[in-house]
Amino acid sequence: MSDRALRTAGLVLAVLGVGIAGYLVYVHYADIDPVCNIAHGCHKVQTSDYAELAGIPVALLGLIGYVVILGALVAPGEAARMVAALTALVGFGFSMYLTYRELFTIDAICQWCVGSAILMTGLAGVCTWRLLREPDTMVA
Amino acid sequence: MSDPSTTPTKRERREAARAERQERESAAAAADTRRKRLLTLLGLLGAAVVIVVVAIVISSGGSSDKPTPAASSGGDVAGVAETKALIGGIPQSGITLGKADAPVTIVEFADPQCPFCKEYTLNEMPAVVKQYVRTGKAKMELRYLTFIGPDSVTAAQALQGAAPQSRFWEASDLFYRNQGEENSGYVTDDFLKGILTGAGADATKALAAGSSSAVAEQLGEAKTLASRYGVDSTPTILVGPTGGELKKDTESAPTAAGIGKLVDAAAAKGGT
Repeated sequence: MSDRALRTAGLVLAVLGVGIAGYLVYVHYADIDPVCNIAHGCHKVQTSDYAELAGIPVALLGLIGYVVILGALVAPGEAARMVAALTALVGFGFSMYLTYRELFTIDAICQWCVGSAILMTGLAGVCTWRLLREPDTMVA
Repeated sequence: MSDPSTTPTKRERREAARAERQERESAAAAADTRRKRLLTLLGLLGAAVVIVVVAIVISSGGSSDKPTPAASSGGDVAGVAETKALIGGIPQSGITLGKADAPVTIVEFADPQCPFCKEYTLNEMPAVVKQYVRTGKAKMELRYLTFIGPDSVTAAQALQGAAPQSRFWEASDLFYRNQGEENSGYVTDDFLKGILTGAGADATKALAAGSSSAVAEQLGEAKTLASRYGVDSTPTILVGPTGGELKKDTESAPTAAGIGKLVDAAAAKGGT
């Protein structure tokens, strides 16, 4: 797969992530319940102890993460690839932790959070792949 | 014998050697770059692991800290002002909140440890209190079931112990605002003292009253009533004309709107 294709895939995933995280940030500050097809799951997760990290809404941290990845995917150069990969790997790790908490501590599933975790997993794969690509096949 | 037409010339041999050397150098450079990239990836993975672990420690610490203020400082619990704003000024007697002659009675069955009861208490009940209890249209009874575990029994006894001081509803509301993880053993005497003090009760008296036979009887009554109305989960809401037959709220999770409809129906039935 070419670098251009990987970058396009990453951009699509990051834009979707910005959409989901942006929506969750909006419902957090508007103090409304997110649209949720799984009975009360989103409300329960969004109002749980794990919805904030050091007083900052996790949704806002996710939004910042997606925007950083988006910017790093657009920017050229090795440093941008590293920033994208690091941010995506951190996002992936924390998404896995939050999914574990949803399943075993909060006992509820928020479809938006699961969607975000899937996107972050995809981004971690794409960004890591871009970083490891054969140097002679890379396109700046 | 060699064929002179296929024997490489000196120049061709030199060029072939140069091409081979360039290929070797190019392969070595590529391998070096790959090694550097792998090292970079390992570094990034290490950094990512450190960042995620720090985030998890902060997240876990933050969640487990919430119930402890009561334990550490006796009375310094979260949500005291909100509880006072919600319940303050409304008459209460025993487990009942609201005017004694209110035409409609709303009965809630709850477990102090039940997270859905917390959700109901924090998100739906305030509207019911504001629209129906404060206005005298209905009164509310809170009956504790203690099926989740030993912490439920300890909590229910202590909270019911605040009823003689007319602080049962403040204590219950405050308990939900500081609810911890189910059966984690967080319902200690220190924790309960914090809740009861925050509710404006004499904590020592409430804890003593909680272990009385009167409270044991009230908890037994709740079980009997729950069995009569087929209550098998919490929170369950029953609504009916005061003194009359109660009707169960059949919503998957009770909402202020759903309870409001039942209150209006009960009021109409009661002729008010």
